[in-house]
Amino acid sequence: MRFTFTEEQNRFRQEVRDFLQTEIKAGTFVAKSGGLAEGSSQEFSSKMAKRGWIGMTWPKQYGGQGRSYVDKVILNEEIFKVQAPVAYHFLADRQIGPSIIHFGSEWQKEHFLPRFVRADGNMKFCLLFSEPNAGSDLVNVATSATKDGDSFIIRGQKVWTSGGHQAEYGWLLARTCFDPKVPRHESCSQFILDLRLPGVTVRPIINIAGRHTFNEVFFDEVRVEKRFMVGQENEAFKQIMAQMDYERSGVERLLQNYPIYEKLVGHIKKMDKKKVGEEFYAWVRDSMAQLEIEFHIGRLLVYYTAWTIDQGRKPSKEAALAKAYCNQYEQRLNDLATRILGPSSLLREGTPWAAFDGELAECYLWSPSYTLQGGSVEVLKNIVAQRGLNMPRK
Amino acid sequence: MDFTLSEETKMLKSNAEKFMKEKSPSSFVKNVLKEEKGFSESIWKEMADLGWLGLIHGDQYGGSGGDFFDLFVLFEEMGKAVFPSPFFCSAVSAGLLINEAGDERVKKEYLPGIVEGKKILTVGLRNDQGQYDSQDPALEAQEVGEGSYRIKGNRLLVPYAHVADEILVLAGVMKGSRSSGPTLFKTKSKGPGIQVIPLNTITGEKYFAVTYADYPANQKDILGSLGHGSAYVEQVMPKLVALKCGEMVGGLSKVVDMTVDYVKQRVQFGKPLGVLQVVQHYCADMTTFLDTARLIAYQAASLISAGLPCAKEVAMAKAWCSDAYKKCTQIAHQLHGGIGFTEEHDLHLYYKHAKVSELDFGDSWVHRQTVADAMGFRE
Repeated sequence: MRFTFTEEQNRFRQEVRDFLQTEIKAGTFVAKSGGLAEGSSQEFSSKMAKRGWIGMTWPKQYGGQGRSYVDKVILNEEIFKVQAPVAYHFLADRQIGPSIIHFGSEWQKEHFLPRFVRADGNMKFCLLFSEPNAGSDLVNVATSATKDGDSFIIRGQKVWTSGGHQAEYGWLLARTCFDPKVPRHESCSQFILDLRLPGVTVRPIINIAGRHTFNEVFFDEVRVEKRFMVGQENEAFKQIMAQMDYERSGVERLLQNYPIYEKLVGHIKKMDKKKVGEEFYAWVRDSMAQLEIEFHIGRLLVYYTAWTIDQGRKPSKEAALAKAYCNQYEQRLNDLATRILGPSSLLREGTPWAAFDGELAECYLWSPSYTLQGGSVEVLKNIVAQRGLNMPRK
Repeated sequence: MDFTLSEETKMLKSNAEKFMKEKSPSSFVKNVLKEEKGFSESIWKEMADLGWLGLIHGDQYGGSGGDFFDLFVLFEEMGKAVFPSPFFCSAVSAGLLINEAGDERVKKEYLPGIVEGKKILTVGLRNDQGQYDSQDPALEAQEVGEGSYRIKGNRLLVPYAHVADEILVLAGVMKGSRSSGPTLFKTKSKGPGIQVIPLNTITGEKYFAVTYADYPANQKDILGSLGHGSAYVEQVMPKLVALKCGEMVGGLSKVVDMTVDYVKQRVQFGKPLGVLQVVQHYCADMTTFLDTARLIAYQAASLISAGLPCAKEVAMAKAWCSDAYKKCTQIAHQLHGGIGFTEEHDLHLYYKHAKVSELDFGDSWVHRQTVADAMGFRE
């Protein structure tokens, strides 16, 4: 039992910090909270790639470094503390690459993995899972992929596609078996879909923060070569279940608003008790201490999940539990911050007197999405109960 | 970050779990609490023979000089069984204080007996409201001649005072009207100037008020230096708090286990309660409280074990464990329904233990103030 990091890990963390500080000083990006992994820069991604920080947990034969998931959390912790612009490689690194390694064909491995690891273009992905009638009930997907010679023809619609307007590829879930006697969860397959193919239409959806980050994506007879199908036909759900744990286990779920947290702590340290009122100040101290405990615990959960993966165990329960916990923490953070900062936190970016230059208003508006994306808190609790505690489904 | 228990710790933990299951089933706990002594002397002797009481004490005193973390997992297992014994007050609180404050002569006089279980000591560190008052103890020791004192005042919630050979207390020494500061004394547990009054608490554990009325003490009864008493208590406090957290995590894990088992078995509307999503979500919440409480308590214990700074982490652990354990017992009652509200069922043992542990060493609010200080927020 050791709750400290090794010397080597401390050195690694420092190396990452130094790199990020140099980039911030050079004006490459600004540390700012908001949506998940929003800033996208191929140039920045290739700087990380040169340091071996993309695919660092992957086996060496695929260009990875074979490093531990705990090391990866150290990297991502520093990245997300300053909200570095990692969106260009983020999905490829977090889940597309690992899925290809587990389930992909040799051609897919050769074609995609080296490109991911080097960040040399054509690697910005979006997820094409959710549909209007397949949200939490994902097995209800209606988008179809019908065989036609050496290709599949894709027809249908996806929704809530984050980054769909910037992505080069989509990680698509589509129905490939239409026999009503076959269970729905054994009827779907996964594809890598080039979004530049004819028949793909991406339409923006504006979120409640007034921002365009997610989209609707339409497929009108899109022809995809068979070699872009990942893994076995009709086994998408087995593959997704394996992959979701990686999607859920990351420290990014705890740190989307870390800059807010840091600014809030700084703000309170400078508070004058007499000026703000002793009772208010006592409430602030107590509430922030609670938040600090919650944050600290979230961090332990994330490292614990990473360690579970490093032990070769499947972290379904741990990852679901950690994500549900961290998402709720982030909502409480933004809510508490607005109450401590008061009505100036209602002012948007560019408005004079806006708390934290409008970043706080932005974050509060983003908050409802945290407990929905990547599995709602309710779905995650079902997983904890059914897979973690073996509670009955029926 | 490495969450693996060492092989030795794993073995100790599983042995302790077996021992508690066999020796201290809930029927035993319920019975022994009704007895005058409030603990089993035969189990006490076995625990001493296993070396548990001397786990962290030096081998020159008959202990094994072991890892604090091992003691922590023992308390986790004892907490699981809500096992009543003077382990905490004697081998831990008093033992650590003697180790901290006592000179070699005192350590040799007391520690071997404590380690063997032949001597039972307890501590009186709480005032009339049951709060720890080590900075400014309500107990007073008036000097009445060179090296001669009269102790006056009350100590509340003193565990096992009725079987204790001696009691350690903090008293503010007064020389005339001048204060020499809080000082650690050992006192007898009966005799002139001392009265031990049983307290009927919600758990039925043996707690007493000890009242001192001009109790005569002398220079030899002082442990360590005059006026340094609070420092000794502050020094051992993180360990006591961490062990209490261990106890709470143990209790919490038992509550989750019994509740999840119950909702899987209890059939209503023709189905086990556990198929209901609202019930599953309650259970997911409970297991989240358990996993998080365990992580943060293990962290506190592991930092103490490694001799690293831990004030903030210990405070976070006590704050979180206090709330988590209590909330889980409340959920557990809700899910058990009427049967959980009977004396026959075991849940009440944990409901009570959670509240007693929450209010011991300060509740979550108290410890959040320490966290706020550590964050650099001025008071």
